[in-house]
Amino acid sequence: MERNLALIALFAALIAALGLIPKFTLGFGVPITAQSLGVMLCGTVLGSKRGALAVLLFLLLVALGLPLLAGGRGGLGLFVSPSAGFLIGFPIAAFVTGFIVEKWRAAPLGLVSGLGSVVGGVIVLYVFGIAGLAIVLGKSIPEAALLVIAFLPADFVKAILAGVITAALAKARPQSILSRA
Amino acid sequence: MEFNELAATVEMTGVTLSRNEKPLLKDIKLSAREKRIGIVGRNGSGKTTFARVLSGLVAPDQGEVRICGIDVVKDRKAALRSVGILFQNPDHQIIFPTVEEELGFGLIQMGCSKLETEHQVHGVLKAFDKRHWAKAQTHQISQGQKQLVCLMAIIAMKPQVVILDEPFSGLDIPTRLQLTYYFDRIDATLIHISHNPESLQGYERVIWLDNGQIREDGSAASTLSNFTKHMNALGTQDDISELIG
Amino acid sequence: MISLNSSVETWAHRWPAGLKLGSLCFATVILFSQNSLVFHSAVFGASIVLYHLPGKQFSKPGLQRLFTLWPFIAIILVWHVLTGAKVEGLVVTLRLLSAVAIANLVTMTTKLSEMIEVIRWISTPLRRFGMNTRVLEIGIALVVRFTPVLIDKGGQLTQSWSARSHRKPSWKIVMPFTVLAIDDAEYVADAIKARGGL
Repeated sequence: MERNLALIALFAALIAALGLIPKFTLGFGVPITAQSLGVMLCGTVLGSKRGALAVLLFLLLVALGLPLLAGGRGGLGLFVSPSAGFLIGFPIAAFVTGFIVEKWRAAPLGLVSGLGSVVGGVIVLYVFGIAGLAIVLGKSIPEAALLVIAFLPADFVKAILAGVITAALAKARPQSILSRA
Repeated sequence: MEFNELAATVEMTGVTLSRNEKPLLKDIKLSAREKRIGIVGRNGSGKTTFARVLSGLVAPDQGEVRICGIDVVKDRKAALRSVGILFQNPDHQIIFPTVEEELGFGLIQMGCSKLETEHQVHGVLKAFDKRHWAKAQTHQISQGQKQLVCLMAIIAMKPQVVILDEPFSGLDIPTRLQLTYYFDRIDATLIHISHNPESLQGYERVIWLDNGQIREDGSAASTLSNFTKHMNALGTQDDISELIG
Repeated sequence: MISLNSSVETWAHRWPAGLKLGSLCFATVILFSQNSLVFHSAVFGASIVLYHLPGKQFSKPGLQRLFTLWPFIAIILVWHVLTGAKVEGLVVTLRLLSAVAIANLVTMTTKLSEMIEVIRWISTPLRRFGMNTRVLEIGIALVVRFTPVLIDKGGQLTQSWSARSHRKPSWKIVMPFTVLAIDDAEYVADAIKARGGL
């Protein structure tokens, strides 16, 4: 019980920390923020329930006024801003990603984590993100989708990286991969 | 390891640095040619900041740092070839899962080919008598072994100056002595930073950093003895109670 | 961990947090149900006035946060000018700015401890069902305590990278970073158990 709480809290802190260390590159000099990568890792490492709880805890603190979102952003304003859909989508993305990793045991962890991250961390997340954008900006779904399409390739790569990182984590700290416990 | 006839030069002029209006380094002036230099001081005296500024990782507000004539802040590429820094905690320093990858990282970043990197990495492992470590997992080795990996990763880049920032933190006596054996065999200039005078015995020159300033600069014997006397005197006081800010 | 609430004392600081949050929900619903330019201009104008009442130390950071929305505003306005729907574009812009401004007003005038009190109050029915809501409070405290610690460690890892490369850190740094979080979690779990557990 204590270990669950500690892992959930530390992964919530990890999402925050990943948003606050300087942006790093994908390797082509394209800067990316690692926060959504952190959300995917919550799912792939902690599994569906604990992963979603970690992300929810993170969002709760952002709502309470802590500047934990990339760029030092926070506060209630974010939940009525264009990013609101993505914020709401984060815990659901982590849940879906974790669910896929937990249930699909036949394939290697790295592959399952990567694909799970694509389904949860990209597809599901963008569904919520685009819906939120459409509502806040008063646009139609296709119009809102057009606004974010440029970010899809980078997020797709992030999902693959989540798979690679999870596989490496399983070697370094096998006991911590709760999604496969 | 190559035998380096010409000792490296370390020049710091008017180096000043403050953070959040708190001065950390105050007008540091240093000119050194020795091969074994010690920096001693209490925790909070500015030693860690000194190490970061000396290696070029942090730019001072004022002043210049030149190692072998290179401005380590402005010319990062040249600085990376000339200065290496070993940090306190190897857990915050090792990035890669295997020893090979960790050792090869700096070389690849410098532009070495895969083949050349492999060759250099195996060269360093051989020099340290650790060829069997090539495929070892960095997360499974002991703290002392991790420090050695970090040291090898630095030596692989063949720097002229190696800064050791409190490298013995948390290590037991045998591990410290063993690491010292490896330090002694390094041909580059060593600048060893420590709060423990015992680690700096036998160094050519020891500088005492106090409150961001150089308090004493001379032979190991005299500086360390004065430092130790002062530390023991402070031990009878109670500055541990003071809160900063 | 510094929170986003303002140290400038205002009349709003004295309002109960629950009341502010409830009003905010109500205000947001109203905002999204109205479409008149006059209405939204008035609301936006009033919000800006509210920000300026406590003085510059309050309004400057508050309005800076509104300013970060400029890319979206630019896109909306350009889009609507090009499609010949200027009025609609202005309405969307003003509504967005008002919603964010009012929500951030609540954030800036409510202490973290007050927000946690509201959470405790909202979770009262859960306690009646036997759930241990103290766990949530400890969780919040842990995140607040450990985020700066992880940021510091992450900073050290990026310095280790910069000491050997002139390039910015790549994604490869995320793995050792995550290991640090996992290891800290083990220590924390032990520390909680040593103090009596949950």
